[in-house]
Amino acid sequence: MDSLPYYLQTVLNGILAGCIYALFAMGLTLIYGVLNFVNFAHGELIMWGAYFLYLAMAEPFALPLYAAVPLALGMTALLGAAMDFAVFRPLRRANRLTLLIAAIGISFFLRNAAQLFWGAQVRTYGFEIQQGYRWMGLSLTPQQLAIIVISLICIVGVYLLFFKSRIGKSMRALADNLDLARISGIYTQKVILSAWIISSLLAGTGGILMAMDTNLNPEMGVVNLIKAFAATLIGGVGNLWGALIGGLIIGLAENIAVLYISPGYKDAVAFVIMVIILLARPYVVAGERSD
Amino acid sequence: MDLLLHLAVVAAIYSIFALGLNIEVGYTGLFNFGHVAFFAIGAYASALLTLQGVPFSLALIAGIACAGLGGLLIGIPALKLQGDYFGIATLGFAEIVRMILQNQVAWTKGPMGLPGIPRPEIFSWHVDTLPAYLFLSLGAATLTFLVIGFLTLSPFGRVLKAVRDDETAAAVLGKNPFAYKMVSFVIGSCFAGLAGVLWAHFITFVSPGDFTLTETILVLLVVVLGGKGTLWGPVVGAVVLIFFQESIRFLRLPPEWSGILGPLQQMIFGLLLVVLMIFRPEGLIREKGRETVDRA
Repeated sequence: MDSLPYYLQTVLNGILAGCIYALFAMGLTLIYGVLNFVNFAHGELIMWGAYFLYLAMAEPFALPLYAAVPLALGMTALLGAAMDFAVFRPLRRANRLTLLIAAIGISFFLRNAAQLFWGAQVRTYGFEIQQGYRWMGLSLTPQQLAIIVISLICIVGVYLLFFKSRIGKSMRALADNLDLARISGIYTQKVILSAWIISSLLAGTGGILMAMDTNLNPEMGVVNLIKAFAATLIGGVGNLWGALIGGLIIGLAENIAVLYISPGYKDAVAFVIMVIILLARPYVVAGERSD
Repeated sequence: MDLLLHLAVVAAIYSIFALGLNIEVGYTGLFNFGHVAFFAIGAYASALLTLQGVPFSLALIAGIACAGLGGLLIGIPALKLQGDYFGIATLGFAEIVRMILQNQVAWTKGPMGLPGIPRPEIFSWHVDTLPAYLFLSLGAATLTFLVIGFLTLSPFGRVLKAVRDDETAAAVLGKNPFAYKMVSFVIGSCFAGLAGVLWAHFITFVSPGDFTLTETILVLLVVVLGGKGTLWGPVVGAVVLIFFQESIRFLRLPPEWSGILGPLQQMIFGLLLVVLMIFRPEGLIREKGRETVDRA
């Protein structure tokens, strides 16, 4: 058990989990960058993304995977946009506490809605367990390979969109100064809507990948919100590359820590890292705030 | 009649719980989304001690002290954070506390919970009937109300509001915002601990499943519905909400609905929070001297 391949396998699993956390964290930090608040309902977008796929693949629809995934992602994006339209847009100029309480309210609403439809039990997509590729004592299932590939595609996509496209430039302008962006002729509604759609797509993709690798349950939202947040803290809030690296660090730390502590505390690792960062580098968070 | 007394006790306990949160959220502007953690600490500390034969009055003090100490320890890193970050940090802390309760099976019996927590015995007064417990919890709620009322009407309370409204201005005037936030957070945690102790000895059973985000949402809703930053708000909120929650049981719905009813009720609570924030963020009772719509 205590051999090198075993250790390497742990690192590999950590990278896998880290890729998914990076997707969550990038979506969270994107909304933070544009609208300057932490979306407490981000975890619920993750969870609903996974459940939308479950819905599309289960009876009575029973769609094949290639049709179900785009549908599920579309629904997640719609949910994100609807959330903004119904709640966050009326509160755009409200004070921060009001906004946060509303966000945690939606998150609670969506979580219980999932529980209402699907119950609290743990579910899976029911894929067959596949034989992993073996190489030097390491094993990697096709699903896990897909996680890495899809995460990389998403990361490159976000890079192109954010730094090479017009809408990405508008988003960055909005993040810098909303009023200034507006008077420069940027159509802010459209930019904010695109930010929500991208954030939801990242959350949905991550949620589906995570559910494929492990399972689905209504509690998966809040746990991953905390991890995503810890990841954004590591890299500096509002920083996309920071979120990516932060996600990988959390994934690795969690999987390596389980070698030494009880697996019951796996989800606590992200929180402990968060506290350490706050104690060691409080300025990471204290800087760059408008209020 | 017994049901009514039961509701009154729960409402009194939730008033204490909410009064503690209100001093943080309402008066100081701290977004504590993990208030239930301190409730849980108080409940478990007192339950474990009394099950070991420690007298109730000592266990009560220990429960409050443990909750306060928990607040102090988590406050040191978390209070360095601004607004939303503090919210996430406290949310995470509450999850950790629940995880510890669930995993440290040697102390807490894990998910099985702790049954048979004795009813309180204060010197020679056995609080083992419902009216007696109501008397005890109403007494505790009144005391909490008076203490919080005294604190918030005093100059100390005005500094808290100043820190909430403009931290920089308060700092310029020579008030240390971190220290005031810390005191407010610890006081809030102590009262959550008190509520937890009363809860544990009333229900006589605690398990980690009783202390989830649901309870945090409920107490947050109590504060927000009643009116944050007001003295009576949390009390009014607690009475309204607890009676609403429990009145569903009167409807005598078929038992097979119970799996649906729980999530449905919590969906309503979540939605109520959102609707309140959009249409009446100040709650039922409006804080005096504050504009209806406050700007960012």
